[in-house]
Amino acid sequence: MTEKIIVKGLDENGERISTQIFEELVQEAFSKSKNLVLETYGQHNVGGRLKSGGETVNIEINGPCGQRVGCMGMPGTKIVVNGPASDDVGWLNIGADITVKGDATNGVCNAMAEGKVYIGGSIGARGLTMTKWNPEYKRPELWILGSCGDSFAEFNCGGVAVVCGVDAKTPENILGYRPCVGMVGGSIYYRGKIDESYSQINVKAVLPSDEQWQWLMEQLPTYLESIGRPDLLAELSKRNQWSMLDAIPPQERALMKTGPMPMSEFVRTIWNPGFGGGDPLRDLAPGLDRSPIGLIETGDLRRKKPFWANRDKAAPCAYYCPVHIPTIDRLKLMREGKADEAYTMLMEYTPLPASVCGHICPNLCMQNCSRQKIDEKIDVQMLGRAAKDKAAPKAAPSLGKKVAIIGGGPAGMNAAWQLAKSGVEAHIFEKDTKIGGKLAQVIPWERMPQAIWDAEIARFMSVENIKVHFEVDMTKEKFSELQHDFDHVIVAVGTHSPRTIPFPGHEKVIPALDFLKSAKSDTPPKLTGNVVIIGAGNVGCDVACDAYAMGASQVTLVDIQKPLAFGKEKAAAEALGAKFKWPVMTKEVTDEGLVDAAGHLIPADTVIISIGDVPALKFLPESVEVVTVGGAAWVKCDSAGRTSDKTISAVGDVERPGLATNALGAGKNVADSLIAEFKGEEYHPFAKQLIPQMSLTHTHYAPDNQCGTSESAEADRCMSCGSCRDCHLCETICPEGAITREKLPDGSFQYVSDDDKCIACGFCADTCPCGIWLINAF
Amino acid sequence: MVSIRSISSEPSSLSPNDLPWRIVHDENRCTLCGKCAAVCPVNTLKLSYMRKRMPRMVLNSSERGSNFKTFVGIRQNTDVGRRCIGCGTCSMVCPNEAIGPVHNATDRYKFQATVGGDAAKRGGRRNDTSSSLLDRIIFNRISMLTDPALDAGRHEFTYNTILGRVLPPEEYIKRKLSGEWIPPTREIFPFIIGSMSFGALSPNMWLGLLQGVAYCNEVLGIPVVMATGEGGCPPWVLKSPFLKYIILQVASGYFGWDEIIRAIPDMQCDPAAIEIKYGQGAKPGDGGLLMWFKVSKLIARLRGVPEGVDLPSPPVHQTLYSIEESVMKMIQSMSMAWNFKVPVYPKISGSTSAKSVLNNLVRNPYASALMIDGIDGGTGAAYDISLNATGHPIATNVRDCYLDLCKQGKQNEIPIFAAGGVGKNGNVVQNALALIMLGASGVHMGKFIMQSAAGCLGSEQNRCNVCNVGICPKGITSQNPKIYRRLDPDKVAERVVETFQAIQVEVKKVMAPLGRSQSLPIGMSDALGIADKDAADRLNIQYVC
Repeated sequence: MTEKIIVKGLDENGERISTQIFEELVQEAFSKSKNLVLETYGQHNVGGRLKSGGETVNIEINGPCGQRVGCMGMPGTKIVVNGPASDDVGWLNIGADITVKGDATNGVCNAMAEGKVYIGGSIGARGLTMTKWNPEYKRPELWILGSCGDSFAEFNCGGVAVVCGVDAKTPENILGYRPCVGMVGGSIYYRGKIDESYSQINVKAVLPSDEQWQWLMEQLPTYLESIGRPDLLAELSKRNQWSMLDAIPPQERALMKTGPMPMSEFVRTIWNPGFGGGDPLRDLAPGLDRSPIGLIETGDLRRKKPFWANRDKAAPCAYYCPVHIPTIDRLKLMREGKADEAYTMLMEYTPLPASVCGHICPNLCMQNCSRQKIDEKIDVQMLGRAAKDKAAPKAAPSLGKKVAIIGGGPAGMNAAWQLAKSGVEAHIFEKDTKIGGKLAQVIPWERMPQAIWDAEIARFMSVENIKVHFEVDMTKEKFSELQHDFDHVIVAVGTHSPRTIPFPGHEKVIPALDFLKSAKSDTPPKLTGNVVIIGAGNVGCDVACDAYAMGASQVTLVDIQKPLAFGKEKAAAEALGAKFKWPVMTKEVTDEGLVDAAGHLIPADTVIISIGDVPALKFLPESVEVVTVGGAAWVKCDSAGRTSDKTISAVGDVERPGLATNALGAGKNVADSLIAEFKGEEYHPFAKQLIPQMSLTHTHYAPDNQCGTSESAEADRCMSCGSCRDCHLCETICPEGAITREKLPDGSFQYVSDDDKCIACGFCADTCPCGIWLINAF
Repeated sequence: MVSIRSISSEPSSLSPNDLPWRIVHDENRCTLCGKCAAVCPVNTLKLSYMRKRMPRMVLNSSERGSNFKTFVGIRQNTDVGRRCIGCGTCSMVCPNEAIGPVHNATDRYKFQATVGGDAAKRGGRRNDTSSSLLDRIIFNRISMLTDPALDAGRHEFTYNTILGRVLPPEEYIKRKLSGEWIPPTREIFPFIIGSMSFGALSPNMWLGLLQGVAYCNEVLGIPVVMATGEGGCPPWVLKSPFLKYIILQVASGYFGWDEIIRAIPDMQCDPAAIEIKYGQGAKPGDGGLLMWFKVSKLIARLRGVPEGVDLPSPPVHQTLYSIEESVMKMIQSMSMAWNFKVPVYPKISGSTSAKSVLNNLVRNPYASALMIDGIDGGTGAAYDISLNATGHPIATNVRDCYLDLCKQGKQNEIPIFAAGGVGKNGNVVQNALALIMLGASGVHMGKFIMQSAAGCLGSEQNRCNVCNVGICPKGITSQNPKIYRRLDPDKVAERVVETFQAIQVEVKKVMAPLGRSQSLPIGMSDALGIADKDAADRLNIQYVC
């Protein structure tokens, strides 16, 4: 114990010594003694930076003390202020023990890192703020006998405070307003009342643990001794009077989500009770389920769902064919090794597959065949020709009905064919000596071989329920008889009245119809020189071919517009040397030839007019309405061929000119409708929509070099548009394993999608080669 | 006849490269799980089978021919009506990060958006990708040693605003002493959830928002209010204690007002305010239309109309003919409905005529505020031309109105609320405080809260923006339960709460350096700067660079 040295804060004149000079005096004294008495007079920052090297340094401060007493205090320094202290006691203290016998003002222990500060009274605002603790050293401590001002322990980072609440300045709230904001470490022991303003996200109110209580009781006597109040020991040793605010560790703070109340608790305690204890929409929408769902759902929560629409839509071949022959089904039967059944089925649709499908039809089925997108269209002609010698379908049991058909062209023939196979007696009344109408009368054998035609006609004539009456001239009287004798009369007389134009010399012109008929007769006339044909359509081309065959040297087809001829007919005429001229408006026909509107002569030995034929309907009763188009009367009827007189139908060219296939189709339609009527059933015309190309998946088919080589090659190439080919691709692609193939009791099958597995991705529809699976909004 | 084999080209035929959003799909990563196609809101995604031809061409051998290989990939439909909208829900469900939309800046779709003969329509936003003026305004008057330093984390701040007519002090005291009527006011948080109807929004979204708002008030003490938009309010909500957090809107369709009037006798509290909608920033002078497919049984019941009908709100109120009449008649009727105890204010679209409206309100003793909605505002459905090119930016509109009030010494009496693009690029507090310092008393935000609280996928690049057709992938603007049940109202409420907590933090982070803690810096334009001389001059703020 070295001798005490007194350092005075007033000079010999009683003037205040500046903080700077006072500090120099203190350091000088410190070099001589570790026991200093500082008689301060408002000097700041005293008591710090006194490093002793192990020996305790005792500083006693008497007199008014300035700010920051004990500032930067060193370990081993003991400072006792025998009175109150100004701001920032222990500022940046790193180990000094500082006792203030009286009160201290603001900022006690601000930024202090180690050491103890004992306050014998109360403190001002912002005590213990930014107080640190380096774990290598001891925790800083602040002991307060009374109370704290506001903003206590802000950003405290490890300091410990003990606030005893004895003679507190603010007994109603001894920790002041809003303590512990930003406090991240340390704890506060307090004894007395506080309010709720402490930062609840930084500290939590707890009671001292046994360990903490033991620490407090161990330290308390030293503190009370230091401030000279050992008398309070018993009073302050009552555990039930002490509480604590403990820093919340960051890990724990991270768990305190969105505010102090979990949302579920809010819903239960505040939200639902606000609506009388239930869903606020319960009256507007009773039972409305609004519970959360995911992005991918099955069952009723899907927005769309797959549907196996097998055979709902028509393949292009069946759709475009006027007879709606389902070529895809024929080819399917062939793929299944049922060739006979395939032909039987074809014979159900037409009596003339080899002649018409196989030769003269422009084959709308093929023109629209989907397979073209891969390689070549399916060769339907080959399939038709192959049916030449197949048997006619067996007739159903008789329905006891008789139908008269006037005209034995393709329309009448198919009407008879259909009626006959359904058990209806069909009587054809034909004006000519042979059946087949214009097919027989005017189509050149080059385009339709006679052997095939004869075979198909023979097959037709052999059908039991079909009776043909030749060389019947129809009159009103005869028609009326038929109406009386038969259950129904079908008018299928076609167009056999050539259209002509009354230009000068028109009497020199031969109608194409007459020409073609004579050309195909057993004794065709001879021609020489130039032939001019007015009207350059396909019939005109047939005329041209025949003209060459009969000896013409040059054939010229003229038209007032761009020739409508196309396809095989046009190619055949051109191959023989026929020339097309247009626009040519005929002014007159002379012995030299045809003179056009400009007066130019086209030399001709023979002039033939081929601008179409119109019906000859003199026999029709007045009950049948007609329409007049282009100066000729045509029978008016509905899609099933029914005229305004319900006992009379009209089919074929007599209704409107068309292809032979149109006539065949019309014949089938009228027969189907009559059969339904006879059976008392509802007539279902062909009403399927065309399958969109987009719904097919062409890519499953690779281009094939076997196109058209055999019936079986065509069967393999067929894309089975709109009709399931049982390929299992949908089952394979379905990512959820939802699709299965089910066998039905009748031996057929279906593919089904399990609603509980399907997520409605649509892969089945995207994959299906045939366009069967649809994804519908749901 | 066009051959079946031919590939047709129509005026509206688009290739994938012409579309505004291109689907990029990595076949090597794809596991063909189908989730992308299942979730796609516009059904544009499909599994495509593609064929590859590999010719066999060995020069020194006679072998010739081709092999074909099929490969699969997810591709987009190029039909105008099924184009990809860029929502990206496919990438959200893809387990392998194999798919997603990429914006295509050179799209030609915009020229085909008129297919069907109607002009292009959408929901969402203006699609203005240029930098927003409000994003460029900075707060440059920083309190350092010259003013008391404030700590956003430590100090307590008061930043609520007043909705309602504030009387001059002498007038207030006079009326208080004589027991006269004092106009109603509300102390509210200056960030208001803008008017979006129960109908435009799904039930889960609307109720989720209200739940979050209620939480902010009841648990956190943040006095947030939300505006309903036209279309009424469920009766149980009208009769709940949460009505005080709701600004009810009356618009030209008067939808839902029968239920509101029916509920008045049973109300536990008054609504926060009544907003009379005269215009909307996104489509000024254009009405609203709730499409029939959004008029579900629930919506029909709520709005007092039959199910599945189109519900047009005309652009004008049929019984209002002049500005005086509009202001007088409507404000008075609506004030009277709640015994003059609820603030009533009109909402107009941003316009050069806004000052005229404001001056009319100044003279009307019942007018509580003026709400101006600028051109950058959002909507559930509007024509592109209205969204893109019709309206007035909010900043100068608010500024002119505020300075006009200042000239009359009335700036503390009638508050101006601003909306239209607040937070459109995510900077909601920056935008709002800029408007407040230009003179607004608070802001309304719609799109921002949808993005923040419900994850709305819309963007200024016309991403998604299909609010108008009821197929919102997030379930925000759909009335189809299969879609809106994707949205969990509790989660929306949590996000509302988090959003307002974060807004509070940011407001403090701006106010603290300005040295303001005890009042919202309304009109504190000396703290604003912008590196754009023309804008600075026009707004009467500092040009800084």
